[in-house]
Amino acid sequence: MNTALSVLVDSTLITFVFALAALGLAVVFGLMGVINMGHGAMLTLGAYFTWFATTAGIPFAPSVLLAAVGVGVIGLGLEHFVIRYFYDRPFETLLLTWGFFLITTEIIKIVFGTDLRTVENPLPGAVVFGTVVLPAYKSMVAFTSLLILVGLALLLFRTTLGIKIRALVQNAEAASLLGLNIGLTYKMVFVAGAFIAGLAGALISPMLSVDPYIGNIFLVRSFFVVIVGGIGQVLAGTLIGSFLIGGSETLFALFSGQVVAQTIVFALAIVVLRFRPAGILRTR
Amino acid sequence: MRTKSNLTMTACSRRSVLKNLALSAGLTGVSLAAPGILRSARAEGPIKVGLISPLTGAWTVYGKAHSAGFELGVDEINAAGGVLGRKIEIVVGDSKTEPRIVVEQANRLIRQEQVDFLAGTFSSAERNAAGPVVTSANKVLLYPTFYEGQEQEYFPGVCNKNIFMFGPEPTQQVWPHMEYMTKNFGKKFFMIGSDYVWPRVTNKFTKEKLKEVGGEVVGELYIPFNTPQYDSALRQIRESKANIIFHTLTGSDTVNFRKQYVAAGMNKDFTLWTVDDEEVVTSGLGPDVSAGAYVSFDYFMTIKNPNNEAFLKRFRAKFGKDALMNTVGVAMYNAAHMAALAIKKAGKVTTDSLRENLKDLSFEMAPQGKVTMRGRDNQMVLPSYLMKVRQGWTGVGDMFEEVQHFDSVTPVDARCKSLPL
Repeated sequence: MNTALSVLVDSTLITFVFALAALGLAVVFGLMGVINMGHGAMLTLGAYFTWFATTAGIPFAPSVLLAAVGVGVIGLGLEHFVIRYFYDRPFETLLLTWGFFLITTEIIKIVFGTDLRTVENPLPGAVVFGTVVLPAYKSMVAFTSLLILVGLALLLFRTTLGIKIRALVQNAEAASLLGLNIGLTYKMVFVAGAFIAGLAGALISPMLSVDPYIGNIFLVRSFFVVIVGGIGQVLAGTLIGSFLIGGSETLFALFSGQVVAQTIVFALAIVVLRFRPAGILRTR
Repeated sequence: MRTKSNLTMTACSRRSVLKNLALSAGLTGVSLAAPGILRSARAEGPIKVGLISPLTGAWTVYGKAHSAGFELGVDEINAAGGVLGRKIEIVVGDSKTEPRIVVEQANRLIRQEQVDFLAGTFSSAERNAAGPVVTSANKVLLYPTFYEGQEQEYFPGVCNKNIFMFGPEPTQQVWPHMEYMTKNFGKKFFMIGSDYVWPRVTNKFTKEKLKEVGGEVVGELYIPFNTPQYDSALRQIRESKANIIFHTLTGSDTVNFRKQYVAAGMNKDFTLWTVDDEEVVTSGLGPDVSAGAYVSFDYFMTIKNPNNEAFLKRFRAKFGKDALMNTVGVAMYNAAHMAALAIKKAGKVTTDSLRENLKDLSFEMAPQGKVTMRGRDNQMVLPSYLMKVRQGWTGVGDMFEEVQHFDSVTPVDARCKSLPL
């Protein structure tokens, strides 16, 4: 029984961590249809900016915010100079954003060097109840992820801005005819997506090795999360997708080795997509 | 009738015929003389060595010390006048941390660049990929990294008369310290490693010795590369009630795992013994995460040895006072010098003479003290150090404290089909 509880706790924590990592992509890809292959690079940038800020002496929380803002600014530049000309051309954006990833990775190596970097864990220690272990920092990240999800839900469904964004997603032309500034709204959504990706990278950085490829571990998984959860279902879809891609791995690893568990997760994702091509939570 | 066009045509064709004749005469002359020109150029030119190093890709962090060690060795040799009056020239091939690129680079270095021998590759997977290439082209490969030992099953990556091992294998890196670790911390081992040949075969050898001292393996986990989350692995470790965690993870996975291991507070309940995390990785981990772990290698920057102090001075003069060196870089340094010694002894540069003269060759000036390349199975005889990562270390100068060491550990014979190689 205790093992079951501990597995459940682990699974939940991971689900929220994955959800945070995938949320930026859910916003950019799920809402706007931009296939952002640079999502991993944005996570990596968030991690590196955090490392840079913490090594410069700035405390952890402000460093994270600065990192997220930094990545948001870079996202703004990317959107303004490149992406906004290609909103209805998915293959071009795929190539362009992949180019962004390649360039960003090399620039990171040049600017920050290739040595192993590390961000110190600001909340070391764990709370232990029997066999259930709650690492303090990971729990904090999961909780923050929950807060962001709830905040985003409130934004999308309870504010005027949210209505505008949803209108844009439903039918951009009609929305512009009704007076919506679609250029500006697209910009805001893309920058929000980049900001969230940077924030995710920053928050995850104390748990992982900060190297130029840290974000890419989450790139493929994030795409799976968004597609399996349902494109357009930014909140519930991301959570369900994260559980399937992240949390379930913890469950499968109970019965088999790591390699088999990871394989089963992706095989399961393929099966789900076979029967629900638009994702588990289809957009109505 | 001779029209204007006729005239022009004849003139053109006569001109072109003359041109062609001159060209072919010139070419014939050059091609006849060419072997002479080329041969004389080769005889006076430098000795070329192909260096295959992970300069980009996932294990860039290791590539630095790896190539720096070799470059320092070659610089010293050239400063002393080279070998047989010829300088050594390094031709670099970036393996991008991928075994299939190693094959490409090895072929390019051997066939296009015409190197005399190869040095490097970093991981066991890379070396095993280079094995068939150096066998069919009959070139020597000097391999520096600590590895899993030679089993005939993995020929031609090991048990290959052309491949010389300058780094330690488990009977040198692990076996000497098994008694100390089990006596002081317990006999239950949980083995966690990356999923490829080095951790698997190292664990196999470790289990043999563990059984000898009456220990047991309570868990064995292999993690695919680039795994971000370790909660299920950590849970398995907790449930296994192990005493010692025997750690062979590598790349970014070792940092991911060790950070999450410490974040879950498990470093208080278990002892971690790693055979992967040397100065570079431990620096990357930081003092909070790495403190208290046990590490065993044939070389550390802080070992007390007159050779080492002089070596580090020269190393820092060339690469800066913050540059990091480790067992792999030192092995490359030794390889460079020993290859030069072997060539000097042979009096010529051929694969066969290099191979014959490397066997049973000793090098007095190795940073870890005198080392010898055992001819029987191409394995270097090395010291073995067990170190503990100090609490609150501030740099490589106080990172490790010595627990015990053996000046020279003779490895068990390689498990090859026929020895000597």
